[in-house]
Amino acid sequence: MPLSTSSFERTIPDRPWPRLALVAASLALLAAIAWEARVRTWGYAPTLNDTSDLWAEQRGRVQPDSYVIIGDSRPHFDLDLDELERGLGQRPIQLALDGSCAYPVLADLAADGNFHGTVICSIVPGMFFAPGGPLIANSEKALKRYHHWTPAQRASHQLAMFAEEHLAFLKAEELDLPSLLARLPISNRAAVHLGPALPPYFNVIDRERRARMWEQAALAGPLQTRIKEGWIPLFTPPPPPSYLPQDVFLKGMGAAVEKRFHDTAAAVQKLRARGGRVVFVRFPNSGELRKHEDRLTPRIGAWTRLLNETKAPGIYFSDHPELAAFDCPEWSHLSAPDSVEFTKRLVPYITRALSTPAGG
Amino acid sequence: MLFNSLIFVVFFVVVVGTYWTLQSWSARKNLLLAASYLFYGAWNPPFALLLFATTAVDFFLGGRIAAAATPATRKAWTTASVVTNLSMLGFFKYGNFLLLNFQWLLARVGVVYQPPHLDVFLPIGISFYTFHSLSYTLDVYRGVCAPTRSLRDFTLAVSFFPQLVAGPIVRAADFLPQLVTPPVLKPGQFAWGLLLMTLGLFQKTVLADTLLAGAADTVFGYGGPLATLDAWTGVLAFAGQIFFDFAGYSTCAIGAALCLGFHLKDNFRFPYAAIGFSDFWRRWHISLSTFLRDFLYIPLGGNRSGAIMAGVNLLIVMFIGGLWHGAAWTFVVWGLIHGAFLVIERMLRTVVGEAAWAKSTVVRVLSGLATYAIVCLAWVFFRAADFPSASRLVNAMVGALAKGDAILSTREILQVGIVTALLLLAHWRLRDTSIEATVARMPRWLLGATWTAMLCTILLNQGSGNAFIYFQF
Repeated sequence: MPLSTSSFERTIPDRPWPRLALVAASLALLAAIAWEARVRTWGYAPTLNDTSDLWAEQRGRVQPDSYVIIGDSRPHFDLDLDELERGLGQRPIQLALDGSCAYPVLADLAADGNFHGTVICSIVPGMFFAPGGPLIANSEKALKRYHHWTPAQRASHQLAMFAEEHLAFLKAEELDLPSLLARLPISNRAAVHLGPALPPYFNVIDRERRARMWEQAALAGPLQTRIKEGWIPLFTPPPPPSYLPQDVFLKGMGAAVEKRFHDTAAAVQKLRARGGRVVFVRFPNSGELRKHEDRLTPRIGAWTRLLNETKAPGIYFSDHPELAAFDCPEWSHLSAPDSVEFTKRLVPYITRALSTPAGG
Repeated sequence: MLFNSLIFVVFFVVVVGTYWTLQSWSARKNLLLAASYLFYGAWNPPFALLLFATTAVDFFLGGRIAAAATPATRKAWTTASVVTNLSMLGFFKYGNFLLLNFQWLLARVGVVYQPPHLDVFLPIGISFYTFHSLSYTLDVYRGVCAPTRSLRDFTLAVSFFPQLVAGPIVRAADFLPQLVTPPVLKPGQFAWGLLLMTLGLFQKTVLADTLLAGAADTVFGYGGPLATLDAWTGVLAFAGQIFFDFAGYSTCAIGAALCLGFHLKDNFRFPYAAIGFSDFWRRWHISLSTFLRDFLYIPLGGNRSGAIMAGVNLLIVMFIGGLWHGAAWTFVVWGLIHGAFLVIERMLRTVVGEAAWAKSTVVRVLSGLATYAIVCLAWVFFRAADFPSASRLVNAMVGALAKGDAILSTREILQVGIVTALLLLAHWRLRDTSIEATVARMPRWLLGATWTAMLCTILLNQGSGNAFIYFQF
């Protein structure tokens, strides 16, 4: 019986392997250096990628009494953690996720029996009341990573952060192969149903997930124009799918929105019952995007009703001249310097809102 | 730990570096064992205990089988091994599936039963390591393999990290002999192993994840009727994705093992150039098909009891093969489609025999393309979430829908079309040779350029560390 000798050996092709390996590795290294130099001439600099791992790491830092920021990209860009710490007496955890709906994260915090801290939740009605799709999927992906984060993923994340802090070409969703392929100028069929394109890269992120708008995006120019052009299609609800009658689709959407109101109120109530607090914030927007959002999701139908049903305090930027004084250069987010000043001015409103009794 | 993760690069460098520095063969095996458990435990440490429990039970039973005085006792110990392994697999993988089907059956006779949902987390790679371990007791029973007296060696054979979670299913009879004496690296073996690892990673990260997965996910995730072009593009994308994903893992495993001095057999041999389904299963997931042949088809009687029983046996084997991949009836249908075509092929062979026209190039190419088309059709059931989705997709593929939605960009269609064409061309060019023979004939500059290009695209691709599809099985 074959226990003493191996009966199978793979063939090794007869080639000058050491030389080939050396040449391939050297050429690949040279190509990487050349690519790094090239992307730096385009203005890219090393920055972290906003991955599910980075989010999970921050979620893991949440303490029972933490201040936690959740929501979409607006609180991500517009809030400065140093100013919040100075004003609130505690450094908040940044859990806002670009292109996401905050509800799954709010529900997750409500379900976490240990947590009785403070949630600063951004409301962009078109995103918060999304019944499904990528906005929900982005939040759920991050939550899944947090709840099932393996030791191997944690270790890879540490190595990835080290690399990303030194190499500009590691900017995912902008300079990786899928992004480069997606930018190929190939026209599509006339009748194809495709989702709107996401805006190009325009922020830098640190290990606490503090996002700052890229300087070039804050200045009038081609990049800013490209970003602006992306918002209106992104903030326009997709048409009903061809395979569902419009009334059935609209009825389903209506039911989903009603359910979101109900579930949000339940989550807020659950948090509050443990001593937790929630404050909703409507962050600034500008230009055509503000008009578009106000037309699609009028304040009374979403914001006012949300505050009524949850009995949570809310801060609507346009109610307060000192918060409404900012202009979003690309219509949706504040520039990095403005985000510091905006946060400084927002803190007293947060403090005041949190000291208001529920429903007051 | 994933092959396509940064931590694996560090892990591999440290393990290989230490391994070749150690002088003692015993110390090297200890290192590999510790590294393999670290590799597995890095997903979910408690499941390493389950892996060890499976291994320890089969080690003990292997010894009992060999020492049994009578055939009946040998059979009893072997049955104990089969039952233990399959029970473990059944509980973790099929528990909820069985309960749901039990509920359905009771409902047919009017009994309302609400089964509890078992909150069971599927241990990664359980289907693979169960078969690694089970192959030992079955081979000891068959007299193909002598029982080992070293628990350490057997534990290493089952858990050897390159092949642990997604194959190839390496039989103890093939691996244990390699643990007897320290391996000696043949000239070029280490670099060839690295090239195979590069090729495997390129297949997984660039071809499967970047160029194909997007179209497959979009099409299989769409809830409405699809245009024929989009349906076919999505299915061809999945056919390529699952090949590059799984073959990529196997290629990495073979390469990593070579770097450590071990030799694992091929798991794929250009399957999309198969002519007929029996040829396909000699080329696709070879370690599973030979496992099922040796331990299920032949014990069932194989083709020894006539054509009808051979057909029935084939269907049973493919039914089990389908279920091995996942706890859902869609996987069973996938297996039965393959089983049915294996039976049809046997019948056709008796009719056509050795006719000269059947061996002409045109007929062979047409038969190969027909095989590929049916394999793709079967993939619909493998990948679809449920039967309504599969049925919608098949209807779109055969043009049975009056109107379907176009949902893929022209770029995605081009990507899938180009990769599929190159894949088929490569498989047909290489179907009667091997990767080693091809590399041996390549001009040096082309080999160096190909290796460099693969490294560059892997770097450029970056990747999001997507798990390999077969991890879930």
